[in-house]
Amino acid sequence: MASLDDPGEVREGFLCPLCLKNLQSFYQLQSHYEEEHSGEDRDVKGQIKSLVQKAKKAKNRLLKREGDDRVESGTQGYESFSYGGVDPYMWEPQELGAVRSHLSDFKKHRAARIDHYVVEVNKLIIRLEKLTAFDRTNTESAKIRAIEKSVVPWVNDQDVPFCPDCGNKFSIRTRRHHCRLCGSIMCKKCMELISLPFANKLTSASKDSLSTHTSPSQSPNSVHGSRRGSISSVSSVSSVLDEKDDDRIRCCTHCKDTLLKREQQIDEKEHTPDIVKLYEKLRLCMEKVDQKAPEYIKMAASLNAGETTYSLEHAGDLRVEVQKVYELIDALSKKILTLGLNQDPPPHPNTLRLQKMIRYSATLFVQEKLLGLMSLPTREQFEELKKKRKQEMERKRILERQAVLESQRRLEERRSDLASHAANGEAKAAGRTDEVRTLQENLRQLQDEYDQQQTEKAIELSRRQAEEEDLQREQLQMLCEREWEREREQFRAASLHTRTRSLDFREIRPFQLEPGREPRTHLACALDLGFSSIQSSTAVETPSPLSALEPVRVWSGPPALGQESFPQNTVLQQNELASLNPFDEEDASSPTAEGTSSPPAAEPSFGPSARSLKEYNPFEEEEEAVAGNPFTNPDSPAPNPFDEEDEHPHQRPSSPPVPGNPFEGATCTNPFEMDSDSGPEGEEPIEEELLLQQIDNIKAYIFDAKQCGRLDEVEVLTENLRELKRTLAKQKGGTD
Amino acid sequence: MNVVFAVKQYISKMIEDSGPGMKVLLMDKETTGIVSMVYTQSEILQKEVYLFERIDSQNREIMKHLKAICFLRPTKENVDYLIQELRRPKYSIYFIYFSNVISKSDVKSLAEADEQEVVAEVQEFYGDYIAVNPHLFSLNILGCCQGRNWDPVQLSRTTQGLTALLLSLKKCPMIRYQLSSEAAKRLAECVKQVITKEYELFEFRRTEVPPLLLILDRCDDAITPLLNQWTYQAMVHELLGINNNRIDLSRVPGISKDLREVVLSAENDEFYANNMYLNFAEIGSNIKNLMEDFQKKKPKEQQKLESIADMKAFVENYPQFKKMSGTVSKHVTVVGELSRLVSERNLLEVSEVEQELACQNDHSSALQNVKRLLQNPKVTEFDAARLVMLYALHYERHSSNSLPGLMMDLRNKGVSEKYRKLVSAVVEYGGKRVRGSDLFSPKDAVAITKQFLKGLKGVENVYTQHQPFLHETLDHLIKGKLKENLYPYLGPSTLRDRPQDIIVFIIGGATYEEALTVYNLNRTTPGVRIVLGGTTVHNTKSFLEEVLASGLHSRSKESSQVTSRSASRR
Repeated sequence: MASLDDPGEVREGFLCPLCLKNLQSFYQLQSHYEEEHSGEDRDVKGQIKSLVQKAKKAKNRLLKREGDDRVESGTQGYESFSYGGVDPYMWEPQELGAVRSHLSDFKKHRAARIDHYVVEVNKLIIRLEKLTAFDRTNTESAKIRAIEKSVVPWVNDQDVPFCPDCGNKFSIRTRRHHCRLCGSIMCKKCMELISLPFANKLTSASKDSLSTHTSPSQSPNSVHGSRRGSISSVSSVSSVLDEKDDDRIRCCTHCKDTLLKREQQIDEKEHTPDIVKLYEKLRLCMEKVDQKAPEYIKMAASLNAGETTYSLEHAGDLRVEVQKVYELIDALSKKILTLGLNQDPPPHPNTLRLQKMIRYSATLFVQEKLLGLMSLPTREQFEELKKKRKQEMERKRILERQAVLESQRRLEERRSDLASHAANGEAKAAGRTDEVRTLQENLRQLQDEYDQQQTEKAIELSRRQAEEEDLQREQLQMLCEREWEREREQFRAASLHTRTRSLDFREIRPFQLEPGREPRTHLACALDLGFSSIQSSTAVETPSPLSALEPVRVWSGPPALGQESFPQNTVLQQNELASLNPFDEEDASSPTAEGTSSPPAAEPSFGPSARSLKEYNPFEEEEEAVAGNPFTNPDSPAPNPFDEEDEHPHQRPSSPPVPGNPFEGATCTNPFEMDSDSGPEGEEPIEEELLLQQIDNIKAYIFDAKQCGRLDEVEVLTENLRELKRTLAKQKGGTD
Repeated sequence: MNVVFAVKQYISKMIEDSGPGMKVLLMDKETTGIVSMVYTQSEILQKEVYLFERIDSQNREIMKHLKAICFLRPTKENVDYLIQELRRPKYSIYFIYFSNVISKSDVKSLAEADEQEVVAEVQEFYGDYIAVNPHLFSLNILGCCQGRNWDPVQLSRTTQGLTALLLSLKKCPMIRYQLSSEAAKRLAECVKQVITKEYELFEFRRTEVPPLLLILDRCDDAITPLLNQWTYQAMVHELLGINNNRIDLSRVPGISKDLREVVLSAENDEFYANNMYLNFAEIGSNIKNLMEDFQKKKPKEQQKLESIADMKAFVENYPQFKKMSGTVSKHVTVVGELSRLVSERNLLEVSEVEQELACQNDHSSALQNVKRLLQNPKVTEFDAARLVMLYALHYERHSSNSLPGLMMDLRNKGVSEKYRKLVSAVVEYGGKRVRGSDLFSPKDAVAITKQFLKGLKGVENVYTQHQPFLHETLDHLIKGKLKENLYPYLGPSTLRDRPQDIIVFIIGGATYEEALTVYNLNRTTPGVRIVLGGTTVHNTKSFLEEVLASGLHSRSKESSQVTSRSASRR
């Protein structure tokens, strides 16, 4: 402990705790600290921490070295209980040790004593009051004496041959004097006098304290106290000998003492020294800081993290407020420090020490707390922080979403597994469907929230699109109808084999794919779906208004297997939406589904909700049919089945982003983008596939456009087609 | 069982109970020490205690705007001072706490002095001992015995201290004592007496296994306090002396003014807390590491920190660093001084021989080594004397004991008479005749095997191979194997289970080496908590003073102030 007795040198002012630089105000200190040490202090902490760690390690090493019994000890830090014992520093907290109070005993003894004392004092004061209750100056001294004698019986002169205080023998020279308060005798030397103002002070104070009314006779007494010259002429011989002290009251040292103590008590009650007033203010300020600073720190931390819970202005205000309080603390403690320094008798060294210590503790307080006040970001910084934070949150949400969808995916997987089983083993199908249903139920719950969001966006988007599409659709209807009819026939035939009719398209999907491939493909498909759900959610989450455009972007990107599958899956997802909540989302989501996709297998199973799909799907279906893709793909000489699976989606999403105007820019440019993007990057076989398919697609568009008579579009498309072909040729040349 | 915390809690409670407002802490000489061990100035300032006054100080001013917290030992003097104080109170209100049991008559006379009703509280708070470490306390009594028996004044003070400790930890223990020591038995009886007399105070919640108070006597192990130490706390005490956590560095050459006296307290000095039980070399490297890290941050200064002198220069040049790790500059100074003394006094070599004398039984090699060192001019007379003392204690009854020859060597070396006389005094104090147990040769098979294995393995660190005898005693106690014929219970009842909470008290003083042993036992033994106490905490110098004060050596009566001056430092 820094020595208790001598506090040592206390450095004053705003010292930077790191470099001991003296700064004039705490504003300066603060800015100094922020500028100079904000980076440093982390290092400092780090160093100290590392030192401590080293020390711990070293300690453990030492313990190991010390004797056989301790070899096993101290392989870890002290918190470790692995070897059972506990560092004495870590001993559990203990309650306060035994105590014993003597207060009641003390009070009992004191009460007995105090009663006695209080009675004494009160007696004296009552007598004093009586002695001053008449106009002394205008009363004859004989009469005064009579009154005085009536207040307290005087001790007989004969009884006291010697002064009890100094022991001198009374004689004609050393006369006896009586204490007017207790009647005792003393010599003149030992006699004390009580002035009237002093007497008044005592009596009035005790009256005040007893809250009785002041006697009216008192004030005139003190007022007339100075008229003594006139009285002296009429005063008796004895009073002349008594040196005309008739406006003072004689008493013994004893009584005077008691009265003086009493006076002191009265004085203290009323008097509060300056230091106390200042100190009280100082403490108030400190309390305020203790109250406000944590609040501010919370705010500043939040703001620095880019949160918007608190406003920057408010925090700024609070900061200023807290700083003002600090300034006040500084000013007050300085004032306390210099109290009475200029007085003539310089204050007692202890007073000075007290002042110094208060100042010191205030400085400590300010230093400790002030530097904890972090700075606020500027407006621009704050904006940036906010943005960052937003992104952060977005990412977090996505992650969360992904987690949800992950579990969803797992369910899907199982379900499609089941579905494929159902497809393969028809006999078992009936039993399995129940299972499938349960799973589906689960899935539905999982998806509820997702649906909500998805659909909301979809609704808006699709509404707009739907309007645009309406016209076109009508035109296309006729064309599509024939094709669709054919499809339906096909699927009806397929669905005859199973009793899972009520399930959504997914269960039927396998059938659709069945002609193409073995069950493994289904699995792959299901996996893809999983990926998709993750990524589709990303797409949905991103605030881009046209979520439907997302798939295109991804699609046009590098054709990694997983990513390629993504657009398709989004599409599937959305279809699923429609199918899962067929009643409430019928109108809303199905247009989206139309807009984004149309798995060929879906329509037949959709039942009532598939109405618009039916309208729409044929359109796509037709395109593809024209292009010949869906059906050619499985047979196409693709290197592996997964590729094929992935190819599917590509064609389909190619239309979704601009379902309303499949023949306009977006679709036209997309293929182009894809070419340029994927050309240099990638796996040639896949690229080629893509190109080929794209070319086919465009051919289909051209055909459509021709049918509708939009020649300009045809031109653009042909241009694109040419471009594509050229790229293809180039690639082929490159690979060869 | 944390003694530092126990005292600290008492002090905190006093301050807390006095409410808000400026306060003065009124103490006597002893309580000043007690408080200063557990509270730092800045810590206590934050609790609005701004002044610290001694009750016996005449120069106190009337400051009616202050509240007074009085923490006093219940001595006659203090009561008288307090009576005077209350008759003419200098402060507005008094909160009075006595550190031990106060008599009813004293309370009465105080009450009668309080005519102005300024006393708001009168309590007993049993913080009547110096809390050194959480598991170590002292009473700062030097010279507790006269011959083999207690100095009556010190006996009563020790009884008070020990009972206060029990009360502050809320323990009502069973008592065992060392049979071979009359003083131990006497103290045990006194403590028991107080427990019986103040039975209401000692009524605590019963624990399953009652706590145990074991009272030992320094006589049983005079070796430990004679050894040089190499762990930080013990070493500082041995070479520089720790007095209530303060170290006097004023005799260090070229010391700066503000480092004349430094405070080493584990309570507020993290570096110290983490390093107090480490050995010397590691502390040096810890400090060096810290400063090298710091230096890396300042690439302009490329100088290497090779020596402690470099480090000192470095610290002085960086006020920033000084403040950042304020305590470290203090430790650099202390460690620097230690290393200076080690090389100046050739302590590594001395210590190696000391350890050999203490731990091994090879007489001829030991004798040879002692003789060799006595010829070495770098070995101080103090160290030379202690080597001979260790030899005398270990080979007291050896057939070829050549103590007289060594005494001659001492004389030839010019070692003063007071030291030479102390050799026989130490043997008188802690020789075989006095010891209840065998310090040097292990008795039971396990111990013999252990020592044998130790011999095979070689010792990891020659300077710290010594294990205080206390370790064995406590080890046996924990395992329930401490012999009742050597350490009997006071009273009829005995402990059936193994003890859990143990308080060991050593009459004649404990050492920091023993504190380290207890610390390690606490850390390694599950469910056991041990607190060590002593009439004081010794280094070799103070131990020799203790031996002298006991006056055992009849012929050395005249040399009463031996060793007091500069003995350990030349």
